[in-house]
Amino acid sequence: MTAFQKTSELPAEVASLRQALFLATGGGITIAGTWLLTGLFRSGGITATEWALLVLFVILFGQLAFGFSIAFWGFVVWLRGGEPYEVMRTLPETEDCPPGSTAIIMPVFNEEPGRIFRAVENMVRSLEATGCGAAFDFFILSDSNNPDNWIEEECAWVNLCSRLNAFGRIFYRKRRVSLHGKSGNVADFCRRWGQRYRYAVVLDADSVMTGELLVRLARVMDANPAIGIVQTAPQIVRGTSLLQRLVQFSTRSVGPLFAAGSNFWHLAGASYWGHNAIIRLQPFMQHCVLPELPGRSAADRHILSHDTVEAALMQQAGFQVWFAYQEPGSYEEGPPNLSESFKRDRRWCQGNLQHFWFLFAPGTHFTNRIHIFFGLMAYLSAPLLLVFITLSGIDTYWKQQFAILSARAADPVWTGTWWTSVLLLGLTVTLLFLPKVLGAIHLLPRAREFGGVLRMGVSVIFETLLSILLAPIFLFFYTQFVVLTLLGLRVNWKTQNRTTSAIPFGEAIRTYGPPTLLGIAVTVLTLMHVPILTLWLSPLLAGWLLAIPLALLTSSDRVGGWLRSRGLLLIPEEIRTPPILAGLDDPPPALARPQTLADVAHYGILRVVLDPFVNAVHIALLRRSRVHAKHKGEYLAALSDRLLSSGPGALTVRETHALLWDSGELARVHRDLWTRPGTRLDPWWRFALRHASED
Amino acid sequence: MSLDEWNAACDRLEDFLDAHRVQDRALVLRLTTDLLAEARRLHAENPIYSPVETTLDLATAQTEAWFSRLAADTAPTDGNAAARARVAYFAAGAHREWPAAFLDPDPPAAMIEAIRRASIQAGPDLEFTSLIRREVDYGPVEDLARETWEQFSWSHVLRAFLIWVVIFFAAYGSYLAFFA
Repeated sequence: MTAFQKTSELPAEVASLRQALFLATGGGITIAGTWLLTGLFRSGGITATEWALLVLFVILFGQLAFGFSIAFWGFVVWLRGGEPYEVMRTLPETEDCPPGSTAIIMPVFNEEPGRIFRAVENMVRSLEATGCGAAFDFFILSDSNNPDNWIEEECAWVNLCSRLNAFGRIFYRKRRVSLHGKSGNVADFCRRWGQRYRYAVVLDADSVMTGELLVRLARVMDANPAIGIVQTAPQIVRGTSLLQRLVQFSTRSVGPLFAAGSNFWHLAGASYWGHNAIIRLQPFMQHCVLPELPGRSAADRHILSHDTVEAALMQQAGFQVWFAYQEPGSYEEGPPNLSESFKRDRRWCQGNLQHFWFLFAPGTHFTNRIHIFFGLMAYLSAPLLLVFITLSGIDTYWKQQFAILSARAADPVWTGTWWTSVLLLGLTVTLLFLPKVLGAIHLLPRAREFGGVLRMGVSVIFETLLSILLAPIFLFFYTQFVVLTLLGLRVNWKTQNRTTSAIPFGEAIRTYGPPTLLGIAVTVLTLMHVPILTLWLSPLLAGWLLAIPLALLTSSDRVGGWLRSRGLLLIPEEIRTPPILAGLDDPPPALARPQTLADVAHYGILRVVLDPFVNAVHIALLRRSRVHAKHKGEYLAALSDRLLSSGPGALTVRETHALLWDSGELARVHRDLWTRPGTRLDPWWRFALRHASED
Repeated sequence: MSLDEWNAACDRLEDFLDAHRVQDRALVLRLTTDLLAEARRLHAENPIYSPVETTLDLATAQTEAWFSRLAADTAPTDGNAAARARVAYFAAGAHREWPAAFLDPDPPAAMIEAIRRASIQAGPDLEFTSLIRREVDYGPVEDLARETWEQFSWSHVLRAFLIWVVIFFAAYGSYLAFFA
């Protein structure tokens, strides 16, 4: 069912018609909902509060309706048997290797080094299996500022190159100044080596892609010079905690419909997610250098969330951006608990709100404006919904009847407005839950891959119920993030902890206490003044009141594992692990520790100072030390002395970095450690000297 | 010097060779014996340094000299060449393939070739490109924002707020006085 041979042949009227259908569906539902609500308000004349509620309703209900529209059209595409205008359909029949060279770049920032290099190893092996490995080079671009991670990355890199005989194909770069986070890291690569490659596949530290997919992406780019970016739909996998398993199941049940629906309306105007995508480097370097935003300070002017902007700039330059949503073999991992998820959301929130500037910028394509608007609303809707609920409560209190829906439920007379309320409620519930039902239906033919029809059905219901409970917690924190961002409080690029799941009890109390208190306050308030409102708000209140246990429960690996053992929330990769995901948790040989040093802190420092091989690797990767001013030499010598006589804990991270960036001093401290009598060494070093070489 | 101090020097030397992955026990014994004998001789001449310092100074100096020679044999030398040779020695698995060759003044040619092949390369040759940032026209919203930033002042907001508070209370007072 191929409708085009090249993406440049995409008929303009197809894109226009689909956008019209998508907008008409979402817009029509919004108008219908608004008409029903206006009917409710009109019965007694519309008050000022009701006008405010109506405006908020249009915005919030519109978001719901357009979300539904995406899932609906995705379902239609599935019913029709697939998408005729899917970018990968333009792949030529031949199985040749891509002629252009491709760099696979992985910016990292303090993530688990073992996991990073196992993923690279699996990808290299997978590419070799395709016979096209020579067309791809790997770059690990490190911004890690944890000294131990930095050293371990270097060890793992040399060891991997050595084992795979891949020196000259897998490269490692550590930036001295981590300017502008990930986007700055990618820009730094482009500046140094971008000219050497035709394409770059951008990965996250937790991304993995099969060799077959990498080759197909490069080939589709070769076949379509009009394409600037192809974004894949990474599957979330390897979850152990309840939250991870919930999210990965959810993205597998309804995700494909949303992906197909998105592709349905934007076609060549897709967005870019910043990872698991291939980009054409020449136009990327020429047109997608991030501009400055309007702003008063340098920090205000820097774009935090670069991907959406880069997609917009690529399209402005006349290149297409496609979404290869059906391609298997693209994977990523999810945050293990709510706290990590919120940490990431806080960053995304600030980035998405910054995109506001592009919403009205002349030259921005229509599809990009829609992406930007949806991105904004993903976070802005939270405070708007809270305002809506608060106003509804006040309105209800004033009238002593249920404002929007429930007022009429409390009305003893079953009037026409009661039915309108029920209709509006029914429409809202349909928009919320029908995508879940459609998602489950579309999975039915593959139910065995999800544990069978019964277990899959139970999983869908369980996931839906838990999502209802979790939604108010997200509402609370998203509101907080929007307010913080609007107040100008900064959000830094923080590491995501994707290795340990459990939230400590104390942290759960501190972080999730505020929504719990809010839940208690609202429950008491409504019970005292408008008891029926308590019933209507019960899903919201339940989420807030149970925030602490929910945070603890969803972070639990045991609960996640128990559900897995019962065949619930299963995804195909849990039933049969694909080779590309195998062994990602096993530490590479270079990072395996002797038993006696298993729990020793500062292990990276230990190795770089003590181990002649690791010390040499580190020095070899540094620029040769310049001749220092006398005071700098003395400063470094004093640091070295303190490191050896008092242990690595006696140095701050900044001081440790000062030592690690100086090749001459590092060679000296290595020599000094070995030649110094034990009496002048910290006991930590004496212990390390005795045990470092044990297997 | 006490026997304990020489024993400590011997232990440290064994750890040092172990850290260099010297697995040939006969070689370890020979190197330990030779280095300790030389260290004893040096220590007798200059007893100011402890046996550990004297012995390990000797061991590190010999090791560095050996790797520097390897570097000269395998690649053009620069400041970090000895370190790179040391990396290549381990990365090529020379310590496993040629276990008796450590500190050998005449290392096997095959080992030198293996080390040459294992030379690490952190990145390909640089080909710098200037990334030029283009100005983006953000439209009327940007103009509006700029005007606001230029004209905005909290004192203005406070003043306006106070004026409206006064107006509100004046109106409310009037209502109470004349209409309530």
